[in-house]
Amino acid sequence: MNKQRPSLWATVGLIVFGVVWELFVRIGEIKPFALLEPSRIVRALAENPTFFLRITWSTAWHTLIGVGIGLVLAIVTGAALAAYRPLEWAVQPILVLIMVTPWVAYITSIILLLGAGLPTILFMVSFVTFPPFVFATVLGLRSADVSAREVFASIDATPFDVFWRLRLPSALPSLFTAARFSVGLGLAAAFFAEGGSGSTVPGLGETAKRTQLNQTLGAELLWGSILCSTVLGIAFLLGVTTLERKLLKWHASQRLTIG
Amino acid sequence: MTAGIRIEGISKSFGTVAALAPVDITVEPGEVVTLLGPSGCGKTTLLRIVAGLDTPTTGTLTIDGDAPVEARAHKRIGFVPQSPALLPWRTVEANARLLQDVNKAANPASLPDVVALLEQVGLAEFRTAYPHQLSGGMQQRVALVRAFALGAPYLLMDEPFAALDEITRADMRHLLAALCEPLNTAVLFVTHSLPEAVYLSDRVAVLSSRPGRIVDSVDVDLARPRTPDLEDDRSFFTIETKLRHLLHQGVR
Repeated sequence: MNKQRPSLWATVGLIVFGVVWELFVRIGEIKPFALLEPSRIVRALAENPTFFLRITWSTAWHTLIGVGIGLVLAIVTGAALAAYRPLEWAVQPILVLIMVTPWVAYITSIILLLGAGLPTILFMVSFVTFPPFVFATVLGLRSADVSAREVFASIDATPFDVFWRLRLPSALPSLFTAARFSVGLGLAAAFFAEGGSGSTVPGLGETAKRTQLNQTLGAELLWGSILCSTVLGIAFLLGVTTLERKLLKWHASQRLTIG
Repeated sequence: MTAGIRIEGISKSFGTVAALAPVDITVEPGEVVTLLGPSGCGKTTLLRIVAGLDTPTTGTLTIDGDAPVEARAHKRIGFVPQSPALLPWRTVEANARLLQDVNKAANPASLPDVVALLEQVGLAEFRTAYPHQLSGGMQQRVALVRAFALGAPYLLMDEPFAALDEITRADMRHLLAALCEPLNTAVLFVTHSLPEAVYLSDRVAVLSSRPGRIVDSVDVDLARPRTPDLEDDRSFFTIETKLRHLLHQGVR
């Protein structure tokens, strides 16, 4: 064990952060909608746990389904791009455009196009997570060991066999790296799209937006939703990391010992 | 049908660089033939052409009367690359079985027993281990089993022991001879190691430096089965010395 106890220090850091936050709000008499004390947020969650659990669950599904769609489409697209260079050259600039354009800038137009609600939410989540997954897929599929590719070629393996048994597993490390980044991005997109004007699909974003528009509902609802989205983000990261440990136990990045 | 690997006038150029001068070699069924030559002489290129991984600039090549593409499609050749090229996410046994699992339609009626082969190379207790848990020599033994598990009549080996230390290397050539002899598998073996060439081969083709051409072809008429004590025998040294002289002659 590490005698310097990093987890102990992490806990200390979080407690200090919470105390400073609490004191800052109380002493500075900050308005609740601007910033609410952590003690009141926790109390709000404790008073109405089923409500917060329900909207968190809803946002979790929006994110997971959206990221799932983005991932599957990205693997299919990535496989095509990795197989055919001209296609990659043609598609790469489009993907870069999607990546660099702030999605909050055009989300209103998407709502006009698809209507407020589930279609927009799922579209936004899959749309923003699609490009990083495509880049990860192309890089990963190409990283398959050259000698192993020749061994496959020496027995006339079908392109599907090469893809399924060699290239896709080789792409897992880069896909997981992209996933760690994409779940956060997807959660943000889900939260924001849920808050899209007129959406009645329950979720953290919808609740936050509703409280912002109607302040009589109370800042507790807004800050409760924000804290729930933090917890959800952590849960997603833990999920990805756990899955990565399980599926990539053969990969150098997951091995603790050297040798 | 003309049995064996028939290489006639095969040459290879990369752009204006001639890598391999026209070469003629035959590997009869069950025969072990070694291509011995200095680095960069084109011996690996020739092996890759036989494996169908590269196309020759000139010449014709048949494997049991068919083009290499056909031989590949029917799993009649097993290729052992320089690096073991094991799949890190597969266990030792799953790696050894890989070529049986792919292109199943072309498998021969009776497939060699992978577990028995792993036992034969001393890896029985490592069946569930992953490649990263093995030493370089052990990994290369898995790669050999993977090729032998095909049950193919021809194996093509590209300096498979080049990255190993001298002691492991000696063990590996003893093991390879022990695997080949009972199965009567024909092998086209590429190396620049003299003891490997003598110990394993029925015949050694010595190649000159680039562009590679065959300086001479030497029959190794040492008794089979080959056993490690052969390497202390005077006849072994005689052939080794002869090959060394030919090798130097080809470099000049």
